Amino acid sequence: MWQGIKNWFGGKPSREVAKGRLHLVLAHDRTGLDGGRLQEMRNEIAAVLAKYVPIDAEAVEIQIETRARATQLTVSSAIQPRNA
Amino acid sequence: MGRAIVITSGKGGVGKTTTTANLGTALAQLGYTVVLIDADIGLRNLDVVMGLENRIVYHVVDAIRGKCTVQKALIKDRRLENLWLLPASQTDDKDSVTPEDMRSLVFELKMSYDFVLIDCPAGIEQGFKNAIAGADEAIVVATPEVSSIRDADRVVGLLAAADVSARLVVNRISPHLVKRGDMLSQSDVIEILALDMLGAIPLDDQVIATTNKGVPAVLEGKSLAAKEFVRIARVLAGQELEEKASVGFFTRIGRALGLTASPA
Repeated sequence: MWQGIKNWFGGKPSREVAKGRLHLVLAHDRTGLDGGRLQEMRNEIAAVLAKYVPIDAEAVEIQIETRARATQLTVSSAIQPRNA
Repeated sequence: MGRAIVITSGKGGVGKTTTTANLGTALAQLGYTVVLIDADIGLRNLDVVMGLENRIVYHVVDAIRGKCTVQKALIKDRRLENLWLLPASQTDDKDSVTPEDMRSLVFELKMSYDFVLIDCPAGIEQGFKNAIAGADEAIVVATPEVSSIRDADRVVGLLAAADVSARLVVNRISPHLVKRGDMLSQSDVIEILALDMLGAIPLDDQVIATTNKGVPAVLEGKSLAAKEFVRIARVLAGQELEEKASVGFFTRIGRALGLTASPA
């Protein structure tokens, strides 16, 4: 009941917050990449993409997700219309 | 040929030594011959948790260096017929032992005993490498906290790289806090670490009280934690099936606490 009221006002229960934080931390731990290296990789990937398709290099996003013990890296970028 | 199981966690203070002491004692109660090795050289503690600190003459480094036979370094637990402790050295450091030393020591013990439980030091450096060297399988202990689970995940990766299969024990879980939404549940932890689960030990004042006295909780009776340690020992010994679903545990804990059971 109290938790219900707290959730109503204060958002997620701490258990869910912990879960979310862990998913993120572990995804990064498992790649063995620190923030700097990740940024470097992002920039290189963006440069390669820009060679082939018109993209906004600043808007390239890298996402690391884990499911079970498998870690997946996703690079996403919007392609700009050809005559933009 | 016996089995060597390393109890490890990455993070310190999550209950490796308590788990080693209780599972070893429970396995001995089930009738198996058990040796507990304290692999935490320089910071030994399994001896005090077992209440055997006054009986140490030789230790694991003496046995490895041939200062005495392995048999001579074993301390027999007088409370149980078939339980022994091989204490760590308090004055040497972790580098005084090599993984090869541990492998041959554990192999020798496996020839004469059913279970060799190795209490691993915290961390993932030399002490960890030594402790897992002779192990056939691992128990990873984690408490339901972000820091502990993060470290456990690192250890799971290192164990996989070393070809040691691992199963999980979640320690100090509080069904009350889980229910309130303020603690990760055992199924959360399983989902995050993607490990097979051996069991979940409830947070239990009794464990603190018995540890003060140097008595493993399973020797002192009927606490919830003791019962779960005994159940896990049965699973380890293949006398009981692994619990796949998490609901069963909470149902049982809930009933024991007189709560209405709710799935975690």
